[in-house]
Amino acid sequence: MSRKPATTEVAAIAEARSAIRPQPAAEEAAISARLRQRGSRNRWLIWAARAATLLVVLGGWQLFTTWKIVDPFFFGQPSGIVRQLSSWARSGTEYGSLWLQVWITMKEALLGFALGVAGGVVFGVLLGQIRLLADVLGPYIKAMNALPRIVLGSIFVVWLGLGTTSKVMLAAVLVFFVVFFNAFQGVREVDRNFVANARVLGASRLQIVRHVVLPSALTWIIASLHVAFGFAIIGAIVGEFLGAQKGLGLVIATAQNNFNPDGVFAAMLIIAVLALTAEALISRLERRLLAWRPPAPTEAGSA
Amino acid sequence: MSVLTGPEVSRAAREHAGIELSGVTKRFPTPGGATFTALRDVDLAVEPGQFCAVVGPTGCGKSTTLTLVAGLDRPSAGVVQVAGRIVDGIVTGTSFMFQADALLPWKTVLANVAMGPVFRGVTRKQAQASAREWLHVVGLAGFENHYPHQLSGGMRKRVSLAAALINEPSVLLMDEPFAALDVQTKAIMSNELLTLWERTRPSVIFVTHDLEEAIALADRVVVMTAGPGTVKGVYDIDLPRPRGAVQEIRFQPRFVELQQQIWQALRDEVQRAYARNAAARVPEEVGRS
Repeated sequence: MSRKPATTEVAAIAEARSAIRPQPAAEEAAISARLRQRGSRNRWLIWAARAATLLVVLGGWQLFTTWKIVDPFFFGQPSGIVRQLSSWARSGTEYGSLWLQVWITMKEALLGFALGVAGGVVFGVLLGQIRLLADVLGPYIKAMNALPRIVLGSIFVVWLGLGTTSKVMLAAVLVFFVVFFNAFQGVREVDRNFVANARVLGASRLQIVRHVVLPSALTWIIASLHVAFGFAIIGAIVGEFLGAQKGLGLVIATAQNNFNPDGVFAAMLIIAVLALTAEALISRLERRLLAWRPPAPTEAGSA
Repeated sequence: MSVLTGPEVSRAAREHAGIELSGVTKRFPTPGGATFTALRDVDLAVEPGQFCAVVGPTGCGKSTTLTLVAGLDRPSAGVVQVAGRIVDGIVTGTSFMFQADALLPWKTVLANVAMGPVFRGVTRKQAQASAREWLHVVGLAGFENHYPHQLSGGMRKRVSLAAALINEPSVLLMDEPFAALDVQTKAIMSNELLTLWERTRPSVIFVTHDLEEAIALADRVVVMTAGPGTVKGVYDIDLPRPRGAVQEIRFQPRFVELQQQIWQALRDEVQRAYARNAAARVPEEVGRS
């Protein structure tokens, strides 16, 4: 094979390359189009699979109970649940309209949540900042955390009666400990350099808490809110279970006593929808408050 | 460079604060119940407006010295004085630049720089206006609303520098501020530090383990012994000011002479520290010669 001069060789290679490869701009557009296409195809696939899963579970449930392989008396039926929901929506429950029950339970959960979060943050920051306080109160808080606090519900009903206050208290107590431990830990994990820097710049103790400690602990506190709201709903429902005049927990207890599994499932469904809505709101709050964080590397792949 | 147009600093109005450590010893309790002596009987004087570099092997108590001068910690024995007054708590007029970023990740660049004035009770509006000016001085105009994580390492150091200088300190303490930067960025930042320092002339203690950096920047280089830290030698650097580019001053014969002289003293300490740490871990390289 005869050797070409170097310049023509280079030119030939460049020519061959440009023949194989499209122009850079067009290439980039093609790549991003392909990525988008793959992304949307994946999304469709995931949604289709989700729908199929739901269909199989609900359809299976309906069919098995219709064929009496599983006894609908114990396990209820999706169609029965829908019937129950529509009857509640149209003619209300034994204790007034469905919306009233939802409102009562949500009010208890939200008030308990707010109280518990406020208490948890205040105590978490105080104990995290003041060593002596943490050393003195630490063992008691641990001991109280070890107790099955749900039992406190019975005591609250005795103390505070059948109204909403006893449920609010139970929800608040459940929420408090979750938030408290996270806030405490968050305060303890504050970067010492940040605090030292603020001190040198002339910050007072209160300014350090406001500008350094709280924002730093906020990551921890907000992470705990997801779990905490679940506990708030548990507190409200269990409280109503233990003795109430209104609320979804009471509706569930009544359905249970009447051997009405459809009623239990229907109330569960309502609670799930409420909890998911609250979860979405908390996620939005989280994004708003923690907008300063660098985007997580996985975030681009999900959602 | 935009460095020349910036907030006008009333140099005459502020008296420069000298720093004096006499017989300073610092001990820490160790988790095992024993005590660890970080500094022993340290005597050190930085004259007002002087740029003093402290070099020494890893773990010789260089950073501890700075925390004592800043008033973040107290000596176990001896006296630390700034501007003729005994340090007993945070000293106003002191700024500290840490080795690690001390920028708050949840505050924008502007809010980070404005922190100093805000903590001192200046109104938010005024604080932000002067923060804007300082960002302009360090060449970061246009990045006010970025968050620290959106900046490069060198840019974050510029923000730190602006945040440290905005309070117009009479004492500037720097703990290996440029250690994490690549060589080129480090050189650029060193030049800018010198330019800014020459405008307001605070007294500086600049801790580093890089002897070249120390000689290029400082009026006085203090060599410390391997822990417990004591002062091994003090060397006055008689290179003329303004120094110009730190990359070029290294080639001057006087620079090389000084470097050899100080390295003699530093080498023994480095070797001793190395021998001590060899089993545990490889210490950072100290200087180059």
